[in-house]
Amino acid sequence: MSVLQPDALALASPLARRNPTVKLALLFVVSAVLLLVLDPVTPAVLYVLVAGAVLVGAGVRPRALLVAQLPFVAFALGVLLVNMLSRPGEVVWQGAGLRVTTEGIWVGAGLAGRTLLMGLLSVAFVATTDGVALVTSLHQHARLGAKVTFAVLAGYRLLQQMGAEWQTIRRAQSVRAPLGRRGRPRVGLRGHAASAFALLVGSVRRGDRVAGTLELRGLGDGERTTWRPVPLDRKDAVFAVVVLGVLGLVLVGASAAGVLEGPGALF
Amino acid sequence: MITGSDLAVTTGSGLAVITLSGVTVTYPRRDRPSLRGVDLHVAAGERVVVLGPSGAGKSTLLHLVAGLVPHSTPAEVEGTLVLGGGGQPLDLSSPVHERSALLGVVGQDPSASVCLPQVDGELALVLENRAVLPGQIGPRVGVALEQVGVGDLAQRQTARLSGGQTQRVALAAAVIGRPGLLLLDEPTSMLDASGVRAVRAAVEEVARDASLTVLLVEHRLDDYAGEAGLDGLPGRAVVLDADGTVVADGPTPQVLREHAAALHALGCWLPLEAELTALSGKVGDLTSGAHDELLAGLVPCDAVLPASPETGAPRVLLRAHGLAVGHGRQTVLDDVELDVRAGQVVAVLGENGTGKSTLLHALAGLARPLAGRVTGERPGMVFQNPEHQLVAHTVAEEIAHGLADPEPTVARMLREHRLEHCADRNPHQLSGGEKRRLSLAAMLAHGRQVLLADEPTFGLDRRDTVVVADALRSVADGGGAVVFSTHDLRLAAEIADEVVVVGQGRVLASGSTHDVLSDAGALTGAGLELPAIVRWFVERCSSTAALQSALRALGRHPVAGSAAHDPEPATTAGVRA
Repeated sequence: MSVLQPDALALASPLARRNPTVKLALLFVVSAVLLLVLDPVTPAVLYVLVAGAVLVGAGVRPRALLVAQLPFVAFALGVLLVNMLSRPGEVVWQGAGLRVTTEGIWVGAGLAGRTLLMGLLSVAFVATTDGVALVTSLHQHARLGAKVTFAVLAGYRLLQQMGAEWQTIRRAQSVRAPLGRRGRPRVGLRGHAASAFALLVGSVRRGDRVAGTLELRGLGDGERTTWRPVPLDRKDAVFAVVVLGVLGLVLVGASAAGVLEGPGALF
Repeated sequence: MITGSDLAVTTGSGLAVITLSGVTVTYPRRDRPSLRGVDLHVAAGERVVVLGPSGAGKSTLLHLVAGLVPHSTPAEVEGTLVLGGGGQPLDLSSPVHERSALLGVVGQDPSASVCLPQVDGELALVLENRAVLPGQIGPRVGVALEQVGVGDLAQRQTARLSGGQTQRVALAAAVIGRPGLLLLDEPTSMLDASGVRAVRAAVEEVARDASLTVLLVEHRLDDYAGEAGLDGLPGRAVVLDADGTVVADGPTPQVLREHAAALHALGCWLPLEAELTALSGKVGDLTSGAHDELLAGLVPCDAVLPASPETGAPRVLLRAHGLAVGHGRQTVLDDVELDVRAGQVVAVLGENGTGKSTLLHALAGLARPLAGRVTGERPGMVFQNPEHQLVAHTVAEEIAHGLADPEPTVARMLREHRLEHCADRNPHQLSGGEKRRLSLAAMLAHGRQVLLADEPTFGLDRRDTVVVADALRSVADGGGAVVFSTHDLRLAAEIADEVVVVGQGRVLASGSTHDVLSDAGALTGAGLELPAIVRWFVERCSSTAALQSALRALGRHPVAGSAAHDPEPATTAGVRA
């Protein structure tokens, strides 16, 4: 799952140099438009275009890109199967108490394609975006308040420590647990709840202290400067125009070819 | 004796940076104040250490000055506080971020003393918040990191720093804004010996600026002072007693000399010189020979010690063979051979990050070894932070957890570990010492033969440390065995029969405590430093049993003239024990 954490190669790519707020906004816009598209052809065309762009422009290794998409593939398959088997329409196959309809396959494939495309966009965004740069950019370009911005960044550091903390708590609490048949400690649901509570207590307390440290660094409401601003320039504007332009062209093309379908396909 | 107000007058030249008058602080739902009627005047450029037993309000005093009390931690505050001499002075109502222009703080917990993901960003934050021009920020960050000796870490992720590095970054962030006042809240208490040394050196470097006022709160004065002894401490000492009242204030050597006995009796960790003064009543450091008579009297004659059993070695309770442990697939400690026998206490020594905890987890069967095997009955284990083990809502339920027939055991454990007074309280609300005793009681209730303990005396005062040392020793003396990790070489020398020194990915030395602690090369190679007092006894004791006996006697020796003697009863109220 290395792609879910930005690696050096991906962070040096052209896509990584684009402004994070612009990328996030585009991710939202494209996803919102896709919500209205229900045929399988349009998302498939877009998927191929995006995949090509990501492989070329995001420095993500193909294998890592595939692995990171697995959760979306599983979800897309589920969507496809449910629609194939449950949607009324022209029956193409029947047996074992199940029946598959043409409409089901079509709509299911449309929804699944949409899921895969959103998954791919999200993976590309996460792989090429440094978390700190994102939050800093949101502060600069999307008017996220300084207190919120740095609280989020401090939370990110707390999150980094939480994995090790959880492991220690699990181990500390399983020492007194009875052994199961295979000789491993048997913890049970209540045990997990107790561990989660211990993690929560510890994290809240630490979060409190970190908040104090942030204030001691002088974080208030007054005037402040930004040491290394995240750039926002004409290249970002070009990038946004290209992305939205390609999306528009594909939609127009799909419409002209008669394959584009909207929410009407559901009914 | 010189009182605080005298000092403000005698120092004269500097403006008062901190003025506290009649300050009393009471936290919600506490029946008594944490600080009581405190008057304190600190002038510009003064170096002050605040000391006192656990719970005396040392940290509260510091948090009050920083503004965290009452602005982040609610509390009722009476009296007045004035910060800063010239310009617009700040008072109790000034919020933390306003005070940050005047003061910098380094807290004790490395995981909370730095906030941001990257080192240079952490320092830049201070300057950004003061609207410093971006072009000036980079160079200033570089200079500040150089000053504390971590210039090469600017681009590093803060999550990947060691504790000592983190605390130095926190120190750099505290002073980068050039505050007049530096507050240090037990900055080295969670570090290993080399971390303590590095942070101490960094503090000294920062404090070369004579105009900087430093207020240090410290509980392990013995570790913080290090080899320098009393000279390693700030020049002025303020003593708080268990009530949160200032009972002494003056030059540090004088205060420690006069109050050593009372502070020692209250369970404080004192620099060795002061501890020895408390016990012998004489003045002078270890090399002066003033305490030799007392110390030599603690070394037992060989005839007094129980002869080692002739019946052959006791049974092996836990065995590690060819053991390799690590994080993920990365080996941290390799090729460990260990036989833990009935009646034995084994200490595992080494710097942070050498795999001590991971080794204990593997011995406990909690972490899968990367190679080799562990055989023996299932051991019990207590963790460095007792809170990690807590699962129940009351102390009694905590002890009962996981027991088939809890009734008789719970009552016995509550009694033996002095927890009867808090049997119905929530474990999270106990003091540090009580939490540690509870975690031990809850584990010992399971009656496992081998007890593993990860830094079991971490963060405890001297009195609680003695209690834990006794508990561990009695597990072994009762026919069980103990394996524990520690940074406290004096504790190891006092209770361990065998010592395993780890470092550089392997076992560097192992054997009887006396032999290993005599091996200066092995200790140096592992980054360990034998405390002067332990070295003194190692040189004069012929065996591990003699060494244990001598240090045990020292740790439990009554203070000099413990009945009634107060060196200067006319000038001071004394520290009430």
